[in-house]
Amino acid sequence: MTSSGSPVIVPRNFRLLEELERGEKGIGDGTVSYGMDDGEDVFMRSWTGTIIGPNNSVHEGRIYTVKLFCDKDYPDRPPSVRFHSRINMTSVNQETGVVDPRHFSMLAQWRREYTMENILTELKREMAAPSNRKLQQPPEGSIF
Amino acid sequence: MSGTTANSNLPRRIIKETQRLLSEPAPGISASPSEENLRYFNVMILGPTQSPYEGGVFKLELFLPEEYPMAAPKVRFLTKIYHPNIDKLGRICLDILKDKWSPALQIRTVLLSIQALLSAPNPDDPLAENIAKHWKTDEAQAVATAREWTRLYATGA
Repeated sequence: MTSSGSPVIVPRNFRLLEELERGEKGIGDGTVSYGMDDGEDVFMRSWTGTIIGPNNSVHEGRIYTVKLFCDKDYPDRPPSVRFHSRINMTSVNQETGVVDPRHFSMLAQWRREYTMENILTELKREMAAPSNRKLQQPPEGSIF
Repeated sequence: MSGTTANSNLPRRIIKETQRLLSEPAPGISASPSEENLRYFNVMILGPTQSPYEGGVFKLELFLPEEYPMAAPKVRFLTKIYHPNIDKLGRICLDILKDKWSPALQIRTVLLSIQALLSAPNPDDPLAENIAKHWKTDEAQAVATAREWTRLYATGA
């Protein structure tokens, strides 16, 4: 504990409401976005994110759909994340589309202040990384 | 341990308000802080008599942000409710939670205002458009739906 005292903890639901509002307003250049799957789920568990593949990579212009599930312990624990669109990428399980925390450090070294936006932005960054940028890809539009 | 630390850093105003909420609760309202986070309250509001929500017990959650009391508390319904000023996620359209907030207001005044909003729905300043429309075109039927939802979702919990 620092002398400035313990930080204010925003509880799960209010944190997700903030994320919802931010997602509704639209983020940055629009290449990542997200929204809630069921507008009546008071616990705001299931979300769908979209990533537009980064320029100068095999992913350029492709649109990827990502499912994020925020359980009761979010954001103390990370959401589970899986690609709905097929993608060949080092951190993604090729059978299931699940983003494997062992190969995606943001999930493995999760911090409470990370958001779904951070995850999607980091996934987009990884698509353009040397290990992923040139990998041969499944047909556009195919799904897991 | 962390609870004790959180408590010792809690502004005096919040401690005072909490004590008073617990020792002199307003009629039909209960609010108690959660053990892990003393800025996060579990709230229950009884549906006011002579309103379509009569007989219902409504669960809400309330959070005091870091800026409180310079910023309003954040409040939302967890129990499903049919009301023109409350949306599907339980978010509430109430001026004192937004631009009419003043640090002179308290958790208690906020909860009393929400209780009053249940007695006096305001379809002219809607959050749930469809429900507001229903209210304006056929109030008797909208009230009947609100009663039905109260019976379905706000009783026996």
